[in-house]
Amino acid sequence: MAKLMYRDAIRNTIFQEMQRDPRVVVLGEDVVGGMGTAGGPEAIGGIWSTSTGLYDAFGPDRVIDTPISESAIVGAAGGLALAGKRPVAEIMFADFIGVCMDQLWNQIAKFRYMFGGKSICPAVIRMPCGAGYNAAAQHSQVIHQFVTNMPGLKVVMPSTPEDACGLLRQAIRDDDPVIFLEHKFLYGMSGEVSDDPEFCIPFGHARLARAGLDATIVAAGMMVGYAEAAADELARDGIGCDVIDLRTTSPLDEEAILDSVEVTGRLVVVDEAPPRCSLATDIAALVASKAFASLKAPTEMVTAPHTPVPFARELESAYLPSPAKIVAAVRQTLSYR
Amino acid sequence: MSRIRAFTMPKWGIEMTEGTIAEWMVHEGDTFKRGDTLCLIETAKITNEVEAEYDATVRRILAPSGAEAEPVGALLAIFDEGAHSDAEIDAFLAEFRPAEGGLAIGAGRAAAPAEPAVPSAEARPARTKIETNRPISPEALRLAEEEGVDLSGIEGSGRGGRITHQDVVRAVRGPAPLATKGLAALVADDGAVFASPLARRIAALHGLSLAGVKGTGARGRISKADVLALVPPSDAIGGIGAPAFMAGANRPEIVPFDRIRKVVAQRLTQAKQDIPHFYLRISASADALLDMRKSANLVLGCKASLNDWIVKASAVALVRHPDVNVQVHGNEIHRFPHADIAIAVASPKGLVTPVIRQADRMRIDQLAAESRRLIEKAQGKGLSMDDMEGGTFSVSNLGMFGIENFDAIINPPQGAILAVGAAQRQPVESPSGGATFETRISFTLSVDHRAIDGAAGAQFLQTLKFLIEQPEGLFA
Repeated sequence: MAKLMYRDAIRNTIFQEMQRDPRVVVLGEDVVGGMGTAGGPEAIGGIWSTSTGLYDAFGPDRVIDTPISESAIVGAAGGLALAGKRPVAEIMFADFIGVCMDQLWNQIAKFRYMFGGKSICPAVIRMPCGAGYNAAAQHSQVIHQFVTNMPGLKVVMPSTPEDACGLLRQAIRDDDPVIFLEHKFLYGMSGEVSDDPEFCIPFGHARLARAGLDATIVAAGMMVGYAEAAADELARDGIGCDVIDLRTTSPLDEEAILDSVEVTGRLVVVDEAPPRCSLATDIAALVASKAFASLKAPTEMVTAPHTPVPFARELESAYLPSPAKIVAAVRQTLSYR
Repeated sequence: MSRIRAFTMPKWGIEMTEGTIAEWMVHEGDTFKRGDTLCLIETAKITNEVEAEYDATVRRILAPSGAEAEPVGALLAIFDEGAHSDAEIDAFLAEFRPAEGGLAIGAGRAAAPAEPAVPSAEARPARTKIETNRPISPEALRLAEEEGVDLSGIEGSGRGGRITHQDVVRAVRGPAPLATKGLAALVADDGAVFASPLARRIAALHGLSLAGVKGTGARGRISKADVLALVPPSDAIGGIGAPAFMAGANRPEIVPFDRIRKVVAQRLTQAKQDIPHFYLRISASADALLDMRKSANLVLGCKASLNDWIVKASAVALVRHPDVNVQVHGNEIHRFPHADIAIAVASPKGLVTPVIRQADRMRIDQLAAESRRLIEKAQGKGLSMDDMEGGTFSVSNLGMFGIENFDAIINPPQGAILAVGAAQRQPVESPSGGATFETRISFTLSVDHRAIDGAAGAQFLQTLKFLIEQPEGLFA
């Protein structure tokens, strides 16, 4: 075990996988970091520092600095994957996914199906996402809700450095396209990470982050930390919460959610996305249809409102879910009779 | 001119306040003959058929089957000879006022003066009209008006702050008191075993190792069911080292009150709250009675039980102490010359109390036959309202379960109930100063102090004890 930051866990994992498998290539905007500047390659190290050192170690054939064209990046990743490579593409901000929707949604997600299973498309598209950096409506969004809606894609939302490592290794080795969503706020998070070069976390396997008998809090990615903080605060009042870290929203670990709600009877879903047709509503619907008899109170959803992410700091913090809002939601569901 | 007739909820017995149409045997437009079955009505105590008392045609059915209970006197259907127009039926309906008792007959008009015979079980406060320009669902507004909810205290949870029905329900009910079960042990996910969080938790609770367990969940994951299959059966749990607590393992089976349970609960609560009970205890030697029972059964060719003898003794004692043989109605004591004794019988539907009428006048073999008939009926197709109506006194016997003695709750409007314990061999002091054994039965009389004083109850018990110890008196 080693104590690593989330961004370092991602970089180390890519590094180890590139060493292990020559088919793994990295591409994206400024992934070399400093190319074309006076300092030369690696002078900056990529804006998220998730690819620093890769260019020096693996060279221009395997670490490809692309033009500022997300459709080119995703299109190239799809082509590389079809041609037998294991591309790890980076979209600098998940918000830019819109311009490459055909490549992602209508091509990469569909290849295996359209080719009758004779072809695979093992592309990993990494996307930093999320609000909280005062970066305004076009650089602050989460996108898991609509990529989860696309059959053919797997969607991963690691919440800790260790999960980032185990899930990214699984994503690179997986034969299907994987959308790997890294919350920008988590890059600085430190945690113990397995140094086993074979450490993988299977998809569709939720993590129980806290255990309690009074309510179930379901979250993914960045929201898991908030849910844990809320559960810890509630625990001081003797209120025990199961905190379920979904890890992947597609496939979804339905069993973990239903098993827990069958015990607690109360559900709080936390989601940074606006509430309509979202992960939160999906899980609320799942529980309403498959664990209705276990529910003792209406499901509470802690989500962003149905608006773009605000720029102003005060508005942005009012927009986002928070531990305090989750605590209030748990208390609300416990107060139902 | 032929008549329009109202068919209303009948009143079967003094305690009946409402009934439910279990099933209609006739439908709108049907013509029926006197004696035909019109419908099945379910009351708190029984379900009974209602026979037509005249020939007629069904014009309207106002209370559908299986709906809410209707109060006694409520209009259930309208019959006539088929000659009236719909408008005339409507006019009759508009003018109809329920009358006391069974069938109200109107010749196109209400026959009886308006009088709500029995207040509806749930008398609601009058609706308060709410004027608001806040967005609110119609059903939410209706509920708020019915319950008199102040909308200003409600933050609407719907879109644009719209107030939903659930919001009003929550406002009416108020917040639940905080009841928590607290934390559970967090079992860390180890990489070696692929198991769902709950499977891991259950395994830890039972000290099971999941290594090598074959998972049947998605992608071969070990699921809850896989672990539960490994958990030793429940009778093995509880031994040394077994887990004391398992989350979610002790969930209740929820059984809503059925009609009988509802009425029993309501009446017993009322009895225990309204009636100032006091209790008198006595015991009597039963040896003479047991001897008498043996020979009387032989001579009379009956199979009277010990309880039949106690009922008989009670009946004779009641006639001698009419102050105990009473019903309490409001501010009146109804004193009866004969003892109608209700016996508590455990039936498949719950506790029922059929009445042995004028038990004091019956010889023991007649009484035994009547009690046997009632008990068999209670345990078979069910008692009729006639079987359970009235009663001036009750006898409840738990002696067959070995209960030594107990305190019963009075069955209103009766004034007292006798609780009978087990007949037990007990040592007593013999006349010579030594100890001998005899069979003794203990009795507890629960008495309504509003109507019966301590001395009256005590004298009754004294006579009962005398009759049991010298049972020849029962044949006087």
